[in-house]
Amino acid sequence: MTKTFPPERIRNFCIIAHIDHGKSTLADRFLELTGAVEPRRAQEQMLDSMDLERERGITIKAAGVSLTAEVDGEEYLLNLIDTPGHVDFAYEVEKSLQACEGALLLIDAAQGIQAQTVANAHLALDHDLTVIPVFNKVDLPHARPEEIAEELENTLLLERERALRCSAKTGEGVREVLEAVVREIPPPQGDPDAPLRALVFDARYDEFRGVILYLRVVEGTLRKGDQVRLLGVGATYETLELGKSTPEPTPVERLSAGEVGYFVSNIKTLEDVRVGDTLALAKGAEVEPLPGYRDPQPMVWCGLYPVNPGDFEDLRAALNALKLNDSSLVFEPETSDALGFGFRCGFLGLLHMEIVQERLERESDLDIVQTAPSVPYEILFSDGTTRIIHRPGDLPDPNFFEEIREPVVRAHVLVPTESIGAIMKLCSERRGRFLRQEHLSSHRVMLTWDLPLAEVIYDFYDKLKSATRGYGTMNFEEPRFEAADLVKLRILVGGKEADALSCICHRDAAQRRGRAVLKKLKKEIPRHQFEVALQAAVGGKIVARENIRALGKNVTAKCYGGDITRKRKLLAKQKEGKKRMKSIGNVEVPQKAFLAVLSTEE
Amino acid sequence: MGPGLYVHLPWCVRKCRYCDFHSHAWRDQDLTRTVDALLCEAERRAGGMRPKTVFVGGGTPTLLPAPELRRLLDGLDAVTSFRASAVEVTCEANPESFDDVRAEALRAGGVDRISLGVQSLDDATLARWDRVHDADAARAAFRRAREHGFVRVNVDLIFGWPGHDAEAWRTELEEVLGWEPEHVSCYELMVEPDTALGRAARRGRFAPADDRHRRRLFDLTREVCAAHGFGGYEVSAFARAGEACAHNLNYWRSGEWVGLGVGATSRSELELRTNLTDPAAWTEAALATGDPVGEVERPDPRTRLFDRFLMGLRLPEEGVDLARARDATGLDPERVFGDAWRTLLDDGRLERAAPDRIRVGEEGLRHLDTVLLELLPDETRVHEV
Repeated sequence: MTKTFPPERIRNFCIIAHIDHGKSTLADRFLELTGAVEPRRAQEQMLDSMDLERERGITIKAAGVSLTAEVDGEEYLLNLIDTPGHVDFAYEVEKSLQACEGALLLIDAAQGIQAQTVANAHLALDHDLTVIPVFNKVDLPHARPEEIAEELENTLLLERERALRCSAKTGEGVREVLEAVVREIPPPQGDPDAPLRALVFDARYDEFRGVILYLRVVEGTLRKGDQVRLLGVGATYETLELGKSTPEPTPVERLSAGEVGYFVSNIKTLEDVRVGDTLALAKGAEVEPLPGYRDPQPMVWCGLYPVNPGDFEDLRAALNALKLNDSSLVFEPETSDALGFGFRCGFLGLLHMEIVQERLERESDLDIVQTAPSVPYEILFSDGTTRIIHRPGDLPDPNFFEEIREPVVRAHVLVPTESIGAIMKLCSERRGRFLRQEHLSSHRVMLTWDLPLAEVIYDFYDKLKSATRGYGTMNFEEPRFEAADLVKLRILVGGKEADALSCICHRDAAQRRGRAVLKKLKKEIPRHQFEVALQAAVGGKIVARENIRALGKNVTAKCYGGDITRKRKLLAKQKEGKKRMKSIGNVEVPQKAFLAVLSTEE
Repeated sequence: MGPGLYVHLPWCVRKCRYCDFHSHAWRDQDLTRTVDALLCEAERRAGGMRPKTVFVGGGTPTLLPAPELRRLLDGLDAVTSFRASAVEVTCEANPESFDDVRAEALRAGGVDRISLGVQSLDDATLARWDRVHDADAARAAFRRAREHGFVRVNVDLIFGWPGHDAEAWRTELEEVLGWEPEHVSCYELMVEPDTALGRAARRGRFAPADDRHRRRLFDLTREVCAAHGFGGYEVSAFARAGEACAHNLNYWRSGEWVGLGVGATSRSELELRTNLTDPAAWTEAALATGDPVGEVERPDPRTRLFDRFLMGLRLPEEGVDLARARDATGLDPERVFGDAWRTLLDDGRLERAAPDRIRVGEEGLRHLDTVLLELLPDETRVHEV
């Protein structure tokens, strides 16, 4: 497979699909059909390499695979570029799309179009990709391709006649799909003799080889040994190895305009590279970077604390290990009054956060306490400067800034028509702004809302699922900051402020939120010999209050000669428990109380 | 107070649902062997002791047939000469087994004080907590004690059952006080983890009474007892003048005593030793060597000082004798307890009964565990030998 193909014999494409709609199975069939992998030898779903991805059915990291197929008597090089499949990674999806001329829009013929599919298909159309609709799982008894064809026309304006039908499971129709890729998707453009410009559409960390970049050469030719420069990060590297994944890595001497392959140099960590960056020759003509490069910002933050304080360094090591192959994870040490030493971690989104937490559990064997997720806020100062904060404690006094802005996402929610009411109610409760309603078919509708991210990150997805009996799906566009009436909700225990428990929330939600926090505290703080007042305040104004009444009595009824040791040990155990409590003024607050407030929401 | 002698009989007809004593339902175990073992242990560990007080407890000592009771008391006297030395000889008795024959055996054997396990005068409550007698049996047992010439009788009661109404408790307590005993022990129901009740509580099948209600019952108890001339000299113990239980006072004053029987504890100033807690193992060891020891603890001076407060603060009148505590431990309580000491004295939870005597105040008594928690040294070192 080291033979070279002229651009007109190359097709670069990706598969857009919702989770479980069969993308990986279809990719496996392609590999078998083109002889890249023997069917019996094929590990199920070759493209997803991490265990976690396979288990969750989510592709975390994109990868490219090169195949050769004979169609109409000619041999073609087909570069299948895998796309990550979740909302957190819209930016990465975009990078994958940018490396392609066409996309297969794979839809489960039984489940129909999902919100995310719509979003990604729109993204593909926006990038002028040729989109070929494919209905998968047509062998299922409850497949309803006709209905889905109607949805396709209504949502994406794609003619139903163009839709192909296949079953990746049985292999039925897969050959026709492969042929359509060759016939309908245009070959890559680009002059192999122009100055080099290659898009970094993915990057992975390999234990033995360091960072491996996945490239789509847009113009020019990259040769082994070339000195190259990453324009975005401004670093220069030598091209030590170039190759194609067939799917085994197969070294090649060069990659020309239109081709896709991998690049190895001595890049130590993923922090040194950025997906979306442009790779050019270090010497020679100045070239413009390819469009769309951005540095993804963490949009969800949470604290991770070792349950056992002695595990702090181990947790740091584990996070560093994760960061090697996940450059979008950020973290910094943090000390919490309540939880001790830990890390404040930033994630692209909720799924990213969940994946990191699971990987930590799986790969590090540490017991970890995770605090409730929060979002970053942008503060506009009177001199026009802005600053991003992500801890309530960093919020300046309201007198010192003009405006506070929160991230807002445009959400596309695809639901059965009978759930419209419930979803409209849910979104408006979450301070959403309704934009529009589009009918996909007689019984499915897409609602578009602008929602504050802070309102989405708690249990919105669970609420959506239960309101739609599992049929609702949702997709977000990239968040943007919008001004909002946000306040710092302070929590006072026995008149003393408990910093660890304060949070930023919308003024209208402060009372409800305050009540919920106090209720949890009341449940977890043991009764004292005196009455304990719990208060929630915004500025100097108390918005909620609770009282923990004094303990009536606390004396052991029986204590004779044989009870001394036992009683003393019992008291020592209680004392030990008290030591683990945090004193706020003269009130002892157990860690459990902090956790109840910090780790879950309402 | 001189040394006390405690003799433990572990068997009961059945185990009450709230009980976490070293007691076991009796299933035909050889009671003669139990007495043999007790006498072996007495010979080895209490020979020539001449105790000031004796307390035969359980379990249910009156589960022993009269001849065995008599053999036990005679044997003990032969070894310790308690009939000549003791000022108080108590035996616990349960209404269902305290019959004329046994009463006579106890009286003749040298017992001069009976502690009667009445617990409640409500038949439904008694049945619910697996007691094996009813209220009438308790009334009869009290009369029987008097008929057999016991001039000192204590009645054990429990309050704070779930749903135990304050007026119902007052009625029960007043009836018992109307019998004119010399002493009553009114125990609040405690939910101990290793009991049927504790297990039920963990499974959510039983909720302990609200602490405000329990406090009301506690206050009521002290008030009613006082009105009938019974002084609350300990958290749960009430006595007419001069009728406080000398044997128990010795515990609360951190005296020395020898405990015989399954799981019984003995104390000398430097050592707490506890017998084997398994009845079969204890019996074997007692018969073989006479010394069925399980665990020995030698608490350090700070711990011994704390123990003096743990026990002594239970006496709301008398409190802890600081001079004696200093002598026994070589430590100055004020210095050892430091800030906690001053705080507790400042807020009145502790008070001076005399220049060298510290006791809890009225509020402190109701929060004794909290007070003790504040006095507890940060690290209680326990030397196990």
